[in-house]
Amino acid sequence: MLALLPQLVLTGLTVGSIYALVALGFVLIYTVTGIFNFAQGEFSMLGALICATLLATHAPLALAALAAVAAVAAVGAATERLVVQPAFGGHPLTLIIITFGASMVYRGIALMVWGADPYALPEFTPGPPLILFGGVLGRQALWAIGLSVGVVAALFAFFTRTVWGAALRACADNAFASRLVGISPRRMSLFAFTLSAALGALAGIVIAPISGATYDMGLALGLKGFVAAVIGGLGSAPAAVVGGYAVGLIETLTTGYLTPGYGDAITFLVLLVVLFLQREGLLRGARRRAA
Amino acid sequence: MARGGGRRRTLWLVALGAALAALPVAAPSAYALTLFNIIGLYAIVTVGLVLLGSSGQVSLGQAAFYGIGAYVSALLAKDLGWSTLATVPLAIVCVAGAAYLVGLPTLRLADHFFVLATLGVGIIVNVLMIQMVPVTGGASGLRDIPGLGAWGLRVTTDRQFYYVVWTCVLAAVLVARNVTSHRTGRALRAILGSEVGAAALGIDVARYKMQVFVLSAAYAALAGALYAHYVRFISPSPFSLYASLFFLVMAVVGGLTNIWGGLVGAAAVTVLDQVIRAEMPLVFPRVGGEYQTAIYGILLIVIMLFFPAGLVRRALDLGRTRREADGQA
Repeated sequence: MLALLPQLVLTGLTVGSIYALVALGFVLIYTVTGIFNFAQGEFSMLGALICATLLATHAPLALAALAAVAAVAAVGAATERLVVQPAFGGHPLTLIIITFGASMVYRGIALMVWGADPYALPEFTPGPPLILFGGVLGRQALWAIGLSVGVVAALFAFFTRTVWGAALRACADNAFASRLVGISPRRMSLFAFTLSAALGALAGIVIAPISGATYDMGLALGLKGFVAAVIGGLGSAPAAVVGGYAVGLIETLTTGYLTPGYGDAITFLVLLVVLFLQREGLLRGARRRAA
Repeated sequence: MARGGGRRRTLWLVALGAALAALPVAAPSAYALTLFNIIGLYAIVTVGLVLLGSSGQVSLGQAAFYGIGAYVSALLAKDLGWSTLATVPLAIVCVAGAAYLVGLPTLRLADHFFVLATLGVGIIVNVLMIQMVPVTGGASGLRDIPGLGAWGLRVTTDRQFYYVVWTCVLAAVLVARNVTSHRTGRALRAILGSEVGAAALGIDVARYKMQVFVLSAAYAALAGALYAHYVRFISPSPFSLYASLFFLVMAVVGGLTNIWGGLVGAAAVTVLDQVIRAEMPLVFPRVGGEYQTAIYGILLIVIMLFFPAGLVRRALDLGRTRREADGQA
């Protein structure tokens, strides 16, 4: 029973780091615009599949990955400009349905372009896995954990050390007051969508060598990302990262110790419990002032 | 004026009832009759979703309620041999209870948390249907479910089922019309406009939202139970997230707050789905499965951006403006 634990924890941390990246992108859009972007997971799917296609043309991995991240960032910006921006100020329901519609469009288009068969991405640095506390940690898993920690550190520096980061934080804190000092909430919203699409794409590219890339991978990834973000309270990036690791650990531990098929059900049960505990007002950072 | 409007509405209803009653006789084929039956089932779910929309809520878990309704009624009728006259209402009660439990913690939260919670419930229920093999039969489903029947009368043909399901549709629409046109309806419209404003007027927002949510789940359960006894075989796949999305598209096409629109939306999207399934493989030969989602996604976005009140209301408004213009000319 206990012999299994190190392996499960290592696997949990690996998938958790991916969920953390998705959750980060999600929280970024939510705090800046107040929009629940249901298409977040699809950015990861697009990143992984575009990267796989570029690799098939014998492009070097780093170049393919960068180009894929840039392409998906453009998709994120286009999504914001074409379908989200025009609906600003409408009923919250409108925006929820629109982002859900966008996720369906991306999934459908991906199915038409790439088909239903999974694509394999090579590991970034092939080689024998590490043995840690009696568990096996693949090299790609190290990449996943390392990249997510690195991205969180970079984001932290960005938010605290740069003018753009400060502008984003200002907009998240009070959009109206930001406008008074010359920050355009619309431009910040575009920026948040672009950045979080790039984060999502990165998550997809890193996890694809482990799980494969399919047109429907975005749904599960996105949902786990939401759960992670909600567990983290939706207001802060570090909490979302912790939430991501929590979801990853819960998922692997329950599939390891309980019957395998129930993993998804338990993740969402945790979500319901968290929602139940939060109630109104307990949710710090989730209340926003209108622009 | 009000009396005249009432009389005209009654006339309309009688005409619609007569047209619906005559439809199976005029149906060109058995396929058309099956399609009408499916539309009827979807219409019940969609009208429930529209009721929910009237309070500014949207659910992505309707397929779960639809599915629980189907499984509960099917299991009671198949394993315990109970009459469908008892199992269908029992299924509805079970689902209403489940919806109450889901709504209790989540309806107080902001809109998107409620959507997320219903989405989560949908996924949990679908996982349970697949995993609880001893009860639900797992992925291979349940076979040999008894058909509808009571007092020695059995519903065996498509035509008989047509009358059962469309009677339920009309009843569902009338109940929904009643709910949305009186005190509750005014309260719901106030909540749709502004929850805070409604609460300030003394409207018990949480209670009204809960009632509408439970009612919408009950509608889905009724449709699910009827479905189980109609097809007489159920498996988890028609109750997945994809089905919830499909119901949402129907409600949005009809207009999220328009009861009759829900009926039209269900019919339009069901027919559209059949057309897409028939035509799309000719355009994209190598894809199978859920490629229609792209079209439905575009439909959702375009409607929400340009016709938030739904295509049906839009068409009605256009017709009215034209009539008024004619009247003045």
